[in-house]
Amino acid sequence: MSNSHLFLKPAFITTPGQNGVGRYVCQLQRVVLKFCKSHGASRGMREFIESDLINFVKNSPEVAVYLKPRRHRSPIIKAEYLNGETQWINASNFTQEEVLKWLFLVKSQASNRTGIRLRKLLHTDHPSIQGPWTPYLFRDPKLNLTTFPNEELSQADVQDETATVKLLKLFQLQKIEDLNEKRAE
Amino acid sequence: MSVLKRVQQWATFARVWHIYDATWQNPFASAELIKKYLMGLYKPIYHPMNDCGDHVIVINSAEIALPGDEWTKRVYFHHTGYPGGATWTLAWELHTKDPKMILYKAVYRGMKGNLQRRHTMQRLHIFPDANVPAHLLGNVSNQIKQLRPIPKRLDHMDPEVVKNSPKIFDYPKDYIVR
Amino acid sequence: MVFTSAVSFVRSKGPDEFWKKRRIFKLSAHFIGRSRNCYSLAIRAVHRALVYATKGRKLRKLDMSDLWVTRITAASAQHGIDYGTFRNGLIQSNILLDRKALSDLAVWEPYSFKALTDVAKRKVLDDGLSSTLKNESNLDEIINRGTLNNCKSS
Repeated sequence: MSNSHLFLKPAFITTPGQNGVGRYVCQLQRVVLKFCKSHGASRGMREFIESDLINFVKNSPEVAVYLKPRRHRSPIIKAEYLNGETQWINASNFTQEEVLKWLFLVKSQASNRTGIRLRKLLHTDHPSIQGPWTPYLFRDPKLNLTTFPNEELSQADVQDETATVKLLKLFQLQKIEDLNEKRAE
Repeated sequence: MSVLKRVQQWATFARVWHIYDATWQNPFASAELIKKYLMGLYKPIYHPMNDCGDHVIVINSAEIALPGDEWTKRVYFHHTGYPGGATWTLAWELHTKDPKMILYKAVYRGMKGNLQRRHTMQRLHIFPDANVPAHLLGNVSNQIKQLRPIPKRLDHMDPEVVKNSPKIFDYPKDYIVR
Repeated sequence: MVFTSAVSFVRSKGPDEFWKKRRIFKLSAHFIGRSRNCYSLAIRAVHRALVYATKGRKLRKLDMSDLWVTRITAASAQHGIDYGTFRNGLIQSNILLDRKALSDLAVWEPYSFKALTDVAKRKVLDDGLSSTLKNESNLDEIINRGTLNNCKSS
């Protein structure tokens, strides 16, 4: 994460989903076009409202379009989506065509995907078929019936036999040899 | 999050309770072992910032065995902060004062010194004997293996076995048994 | 009457100064205290932060590989084989998975990881290094090329 990404909203990479496969639900609910009636920065917006807005509204009946004139402020496109997100676009000095292009963009997307920081470059909703590791996965089922503390489970793994065991074995061998010698006599 | 996924997550991050018998164990080597369970280092999901550490109950901490002559040579330093407030306590003195302290300090020093260490130590429960409260013992579902076998004392052995064992050497005639 | 405009004009260093400072303040926007807003403190803090960022790019990679080793060690210890033996066994069996892939497998596909440890164990056994393994009870099920060759020769 670099410095320029500090104030960005963290998100996971997503696919567009199945919207439009069976039926289509427009994810854009509301658009507010804010503009000034006299200022030059709103000229393209005013031209758009005069000529193209009616067509846009006719073609997209599922979107509520509001107009908000205000004096001497720069023009804004504010889009509100079905998932509750809002997107705010500064439309200062936009031409008529540019406004239309931005409106088509906000209409066709499900949320604001600009200004996010991808937490990971890979993401899946189904990360594992076998299921993630749990402490109980390779556990000996015998432990479920044990009462703790258990002396037998507590005993250390001894790889090599101890000197005592070796000595006792030697002693047993010696005993057998002694017996054999006696029998031979 | 679906019900299945939620349960899976509970299972993955479940806190397991372990029990460890410190009888005749080296506390400093045991600390390395206990640390792994306390911090969750034995889990493949380990990350220093995720909360995957387990609880460890240590019993019989009064029965620990220090290596070599460490009972008389190891010194624990403490300073009250006031002038002349320094004290040096030998390991055997500390052990008679509090039989849990040597093991506690060994585990504490075995971990990397960061702020998380205090919280990790909260999950370590040391008992000087085998009397563990039932509400703690009921949580336990795993036993940590000891590091070394417990030697058997001569007076605890079966006299028949002792009698049949080979005699390895004779004491010299002038040897005084204390 | 006081004429301040001439003084202000001399004192202001022009638009370049503003943009230069702004560039620094953008980088110090998340700092605590005066080093966020006071330029002379901010520039020092930003230089320091950029040095840390440069060093951090290398450290991040080291940290990640350390974490992967920790995770693989934990997962392979559960199946009774230590990290070095496990990696060596995999390489000898021509399974060339890196640490990232192995640690991901250990968390997300634990049964596949167990199969990998079994393969590594079998290889280690065939190479005659069985003393490095802890429990080798169910390894007779696994057969690889080395095992077959051993059977033929014996």
